[in-house]
Amino acid sequence: MIWHHPASVSSSGKWGLCRVLSCKELTVELQRQEEPHKKKDNPNHPSRIMQTPPTTTVPVLRLPRGPDGLSRGFAPDGRRAPLKPVVPEIPESQESRESQEQRARATLRERYLRSLLAMVGRQVSFTLHEGVHVTAHFGATDLDVANFYVSQLQTPIGVQAEALLRCSDIVSYTFKP
Amino acid sequence: MAMRQTPLTCSGHTRPVVDLAFSGITPYGYFLISACKDGKPMLRQGDTGDWIGTFLGHKGAVWGATLNKDATKAATAAADFTAKVWDAVSGDELMTLAHKHIVKTVDFTQDSNYLLTGGQDKLLRIYDLNKPEADPKEISGHTSGIKKALWCSEDKQILSADDKTVRLWDHATMTEVKSLNFNMSVSSMEYIPEGEILVITYGRSIAFHSAVSLDPIKSFEAPATINSASLHPEKEFLVAGGEDFKLYKYDYNSGEELESYKGHFGPIHCVRFSPDGELYASGSEDGTLRLWQTVVGKTYGLWKCVLPEDSGDLAKPKISFPETAEEELEEIASENSDSIDSSTPEVKA
Repeated sequence: MIWHHPASVSSSGKWGLCRVLSCKELTVELQRQEEPHKKKDNPNHPSRIMQTPPTTTVPVLRLPRGPDGLSRGFAPDGRRAPLKPVVPEIPESQESRESQEQRARATLRERYLRSLLAMVGRQVSFTLHEGVHVTAHFGATDLDVANFYVSQLQTPIGVQAEALLRCSDIVSYTFKP
Repeated sequence: MAMRQTPLTCSGHTRPVVDLAFSGITPYGYFLISACKDGKPMLRQGDTGDWIGTFLGHKGAVWGATLNKDATKAATAAADFTAKVWDAVSGDELMTLAHKHIVKTVDFTQDSNYLLTGGQDKLLRIYDLNKPEADPKEISGHTSGIKKALWCSEDKQILSADDKTVRLWDHATMTEVKSLNFNMSVSSMEYIPEGEILVITYGRSIAFHSAVSLDPIKSFEAPATINSASLHPEKEFLVAGGEDFKLYKYDYNSGEELESYKGHFGPIHCVRFSPDGELYASGSEDGTLRLWQTVVGKTYGLWKCVLPEDSGDLAKPKISFPETAEEELEEIASENSDSIDSSTPEVKA
């Protein structure tokens, strides 16, 4: 809803057919918008002037994990364990190569995702097809890492304030953390 | 729809949490170390608060803790008259550095080659970590116990705070360059390398000074005595906590109080922004560490953004709480308030 301040908007300006609302009309409009909130019969509801819309607490996936109470931690198979799998004492058939590979893949994937996080806000140089080089400030990627949202994209034909780079167009990219 | 902050409580310590520090951003994320009077500093994953390990070895309260930039080493300062350096990946103790009194503060250089310590013996010590057997270089001059000592200006200078003064020292010549005097006890100090800003708290004041010249930049007054404050990496916000158990968030440019949160059951001793600025951690007398979102409602770490269409499914977090009773969590959640206008009275459910 566009609010027109009577003093600041002329009736024949760029708003065209829009009509300037008088103060009384604005008050009526405000009351109409607040009706749904007023209907809540909450005895603790603050007065209308200080009314806040219904709030909800930010959901969490789980609580942070605490100490296990048994050891001092620093699990050998934790995040910062060496990528090379430790030679298992049990025969390979039990700890199959598949699950080792899966763990290695998971670790590499996590490192890649963290590299994307580290790129946020940094200057990144992209090498595109046909030997084209561009630089930009990295903003974000989408869920499938199909597009990169960048700003201040320096292209051979000028600077683009905001842009989406298709990952299929990118051959490689580099940045300094 | 306005979202209310859900702090994440990290339990595990059994006594007050007196210091905390984040590492830099590493390929494995960033990490958090907490110093506790129970003598058992803990390492946690920085974005989730998940416990990774506890550094065992100190025989007294740990007053200061820090991580090096890539979180491969940790250092702690304790009441047992030692500072210890640890391997932060394995949890093993690497070296014990004996002092003549309670050690309060430790700080690594950027290259992790030197460790700065300070404590009740009023001396600053610089240890060469590649030669742990060698005697440290000592800088004297403080007239009361040192509370905080930090490397600054690319490790070319040292900032140290005792009860009523903050001093700037030149590393090469080991001499004092400048000092600031305060009428009230300095409770904390934080150094921001980008921009060379020093954040100092004393009484109810949160002051910002140039780390190079010590000249004042600006200062804010909080509603209560502040024990610690931290400036956001992009210098948009600052957070502060102190004796009234509340955390305050201010706009750095205007000084306007943006939000305040209850949640801790004791005075807040330390508060720090994460290196990516997405969350801040607070440590309290109540023995807990809490993580708070900078932008409430954003999906990050364990917080999950919920769009209005999905709210039917996730209206209330459906998780079992092994440590906290449902009612306690309800109480905590309802005590939090987003006060956009600080003069608005809080609604107690």
